Order: sequence, then C-alpha cells, then structure tokens
Amino acid sequence: MHELSVALSLVENIEDSARLQGFERVLAVRLRIGALSGIAPDALRFSWKLATDGTLAADSALEIEDVPLLVFCERCEAERAPRGGAGLVCPECGNVCPTIVRGRELQLVAVEVPQ
Amino acid sequence: MKYRVVQIEQSLMKRNDALAGSLRARFAASGTFVVNVLSSPGSGKTTLLQTTLARLAGTHRAGALVGDQATDNDARRLAESGAPVKQITTAAECRLDAEMIGRALEGWEPGPLDVLFIENVGNLICPAEYDLGEDLRVVLFSVTEGEDKPLKYPLAFNTAQLALVTKIDIADAVGFDREAAHRSMREVNPAIEIVELSSRTGTGLEDWLGVLERKIALKRAGAAETASAPIAATVAATAG
Repeated sequence: MHELSVALSLVENIEDSARLQGFERVLAVRLRIGALSGIAPDALRFSWKLATDGTLAADSALEIEDVPLLVFCERCEAERAPRGGAGLVCPECGNVCPTIVRGRELQLVAVEVPQ
Repeated sequence: MKYRVVQIEQSLMKRNDALAGSLRARFAASGTFVVNVLSSPGSGKTTLLQTTLARLAGTHRAGALVGDQATDNDARRLAESGAPVKQITTAAECRLDAEMIGRALEGWEPGPLDVLFIENVGNLICPAEYDLGEDLRVVLFSVTEGEDKPLKYPLAFNTAQLALVTKIDIADAVGFDREAAHRSMREVNPAIEIVELSSRTGTGLEDWLGVLERKIALKRAGAAETASAPIAATVAATAG
C-alpha cells in the first residue's frame, strides 16, 4: 500500500549508485520482494512509470524476483515453507517456527545500464 | 541494446533501520520508554491510550505521537488527558516510519518523558515492516475481528512482544472464541504475551499497566547496568 513511496526511494537509491558507479541511464532494475514485505509487485509496477518519469530510470523495466516465506524449524533443523494462512507452522512436523528466514526482503539487487 | 549489470544489493529498509537506530539511542539517552502501538482501524488504539494516559498521569510523565492519514481527531481525543500529544498526518502513507517520528520530534517540546506512545496508522500490514526505535511493540486485536487475524497478518503479530485483546466486555455477545484467538497468535509468535482487556469497563487494565511498568523497570535496570559498566571497568583498570 506504500508502493509509490517505495518506487520513489528506489529511484533515490539508484541515483546514489549512479553517482558512485558512474552510469547515467538505467535500462532495467532488478528487485527482490518477499511475500511478507507488504509490497504488491503489481502495484509497484503501476507506480514505477510515475516514479521514474524524468529520471535516469525513465522507461526502465522492472524485474521482480518474488521471494516466498521461509521459516526455520528448530525441530526439523531445516528451512520450511509454511502453508499460506496457516501461521508460521512447519508443514512437516507442526512445530511453530517464529524465526523468519526469508520473505521480508525489499531489496534493490542490481541495475542494467547501457554498455 | 547492449547492457552491463551493476550489482547494488541494498535493502530499501536500510535507511529506515539506520534512522530507527539513532532514534533508539536518543530515547535511551533521555530515559524514554517507547511503545509502538499497531492494529487494524477500529481495534481501540485511541480509546486504550486515552485511558492509559489518564491512568499514568500521577506516576509517569507520558506523551503520545499519533499517526493518521487525515484529521487530528485522535490527537485531540488524547490531549484531553492533559498529556503532551502531537498528531502526525501521513496523507497517502499507510504507516509511520522513523523519518516521520524524527520530524515530529523536532520542535515538539513535551518536556522529559518517561513513556512515549506512538499510535501507528490503523493497518496491520505496512507498519509491521517499519522500526520506529521503539522498546516495545504492542499489537491490538479486538474480539470483533475474527480469531484468525494473526494468521492473515503474521508479521504484525510475529514482531510484537505483547498482544492486547481489546473489547473483551463484548466477547460473549459476538461469540468470541478465546482459545482459537490465542492459538492463532501463538502460531505466529509462541513467545507473545497476551493480555485481555476492555478500555471501557476497565477489565484487564491493571494487567496491561502491570506489564508496561515491568518492561519500563527492566529497561531502566538495563540502562543503569550499562551506565555503571564503564565505571567498573575504570576501577578495574586502575586497580590493575
């Protein structure tokens, strides 16, 4: 629900990188978005055009890698993917696993820039 | 077009987390215990804080920051307690972030505070992701909301240390299944403390205030320990 502000801060981060890494235009942006991040990829795509207009990322493509929720099950000593809507419960042994290993990501992974 | 890839690998939460870290240090220095209050709209955050601020008036210097997308109605309601209160109007934003808290603190002179409550925007999704430099995260969950709410919004309950089941006075009337509600909270956070209360009738208020005071005392004890540590180290160094 705050996808536009996320899009705007992405542009800021990319502008910072541009200064450091010396690029002037961005063709594509690669992101990692966790299932629990509170960000809806479709809404982010929708905001992207608006947020990048007139910036170095104008008309750039957004490549989103969805990261599913993974928790650590202490009983199984393994990472597990809980069933949707069933709490943070190990689908194998039924143990409650409050340690979230993946799924909260909201990461700017990389950008593709002209060679 | 030929392209090259520039790796960045940066969390978008990094900035907020850094700001929250400096807020936490600032609150520690001023001895202020900070409570971030999360819930859906209408779970009773403002009513709870009205009652809580009034109850703390004699014993603690307490204040509140209140986040809403629009209006300063909640700040006006809370200010009736006599406590210092400031409204943060977030407009399009569906949550408070550390930057908003930092800005709100600028030019606000509530005097020294023992406790600062931050009433977040009513929403269980986005606020869960944003650290505000708080010591305690409380999530409210009213008996009218459906016992599986923690399963639908796991992060809010997973990141909170305390859950307050509100409007407990009407639990029977709405057929609240207490066992199912507790079970679903524990299924996302087995360590979560749960207090059932009614701000209207006062049921459970003592329990909530008790938990709050215990946590405040724990933080003070920790701070005193940290403050005395360098002195002990100096003594040891001199003795050596």
